[in-house]
Amino acid sequence: MDVKFLNPFVEAAVEVLKAEIGVNVQRGSLSLHQSALTTDDVTVLIHLVGQVYGVVMYGMNTETGIRFVTQILGQEFTEFDSLAQSGVAELGNVISGRATIKFSQAGYASNISPPTLISGKGIQISTLDFPRIVVPLQTNLGELTVHLALRENRNGKLEEFVALTPAAKGS
Amino acid sequence: MNVKFLNPFVEAAYEVLRAETGMEISRGELRLEQGMYVTDDVTVILSLVGAVEGTVFYSMNRLAAVRFASIMMGESLIELDGLAQSGIAEIGNVITGRASMKLSENGYESNISTPSLILGKGASISTLDYPRLVVPLVTDAGSVEIHLALREGKRGLKTPQIAVPSAKAVNG
Repeated sequence: MDVKFLNPFVEAAVEVLKAEIGVNVQRGSLSLHQSALTTDDVTVLIHLVGQVYGVVMYGMNTETGIRFVTQILGQEFTEFDSLAQSGVAELGNVISGRATIKFSQAGYASNISPPTLISGKGIQISTLDFPRIVVPLQTNLGELTVHLALRENRNGKLEEFVALTPAAKGS
Repeated sequence: MNVKFLNPFVEAAYEVLRAETGMEISRGELRLEQGMYVTDDVTVILSLVGAVEGTVFYSMNRLAAVRFASIMMGESLIELDGLAQSGIAEIGNVITGRASMKLSENGYESNISTPSLILGKGASISTLDYPRLVVPLVTDAGSVEIHLALREGKRGLKTPQIAVPSAKAVNG
C-alpha cells in the first residue's frame, strides 16, 4: 500500500477524536501485514471506491467503544447496544469521510460506502491481495486501531462514466 | 430496502453461478431481516457506492465455499486456503459487478468496491439502519445466501452519469 494514503487517515482520525471525544491521540508504531486481520470486539468496515480504493477498518474493544460513544452522544452507556453501535459506526464514517476530503484535495477523488459493523472477537477478515497498514491510536479512553488496505486506481475507475451536461439531461 | 434492486442481483447470481458451475440453481424463500446477521463460515462483503449504495454479503458454509472455489479454479481444493479464498471473493466480485451493470441499465449508476472476506462463524454483522433482504440460492455444490442492504444513494456521485459505450461492451 502506498504510504501517502496513510497520513490523511491519521490526521482525520486525530482531528475527529479530538473534536468528537475530546481526547488527545498518540500514534503507536506502524506495521505492515499481508495476512488476514484477526478482529477485536468491534470492527467498523468501510470501503473506498474511486481513485483511491480498498477497505478501511477501525478496531477497538467493547470497553473503548462504550467510552467513545458515551463521549460522542453525551450519555452514559452500560452495554454496547444498537445506539452505541451506530455511534461507533458513525465515528468510522466521519473519520473516513474527512480522510476522503483530504484525498480529494490531493487530487484523488473517492467515495466511501456506508459503514458495516462487525462484532465478535477472533474472526478473520481478509483483504485478499491488499496488504494492510496498521496504525494504533492511543487515547486515554482506550485504543483505536486503524487498518488501511488501499490502492491507487491507475485505470481511473470513476472515469468510465462521463457526466451528462445539463443540456443533454432531457434526452 | 427497495425491491427493484433485488432482481438484478438474483439474475446476476443465476447467470454467474450457472456459467461457472454448470449447475442448476433454485431460489429459496426471500426474507427481510432487520437485526444483525450472524455469520456462517465464509462471508464475502462488497459495497456499492453511487446511485445505489449499501452493502452486499454472500455467505456460505466452508464445504460449499471449498466446492465453489474448486469449480472456479478448475482443480480440486481440499481446504479453504488462500487460493480458495480468492476464488470465493472473485465469485462475489463477478456477481456484484454484473448486477451493477444491470442496475446501471435501469438508470442506477454505481461503482463496486473490492471484496473483503470474513472467515469465522458466529460473528455479528450489522448494516445498522439498512434492513437486509436475504435471498437463499441452492445448488448441488451447496447453498449461498445473498444479503442485500441497499438504498438509493443520497451521497456519492452527484452529477447524473451515463456509461460510455466501452463500459457496456461486455454485456451479453
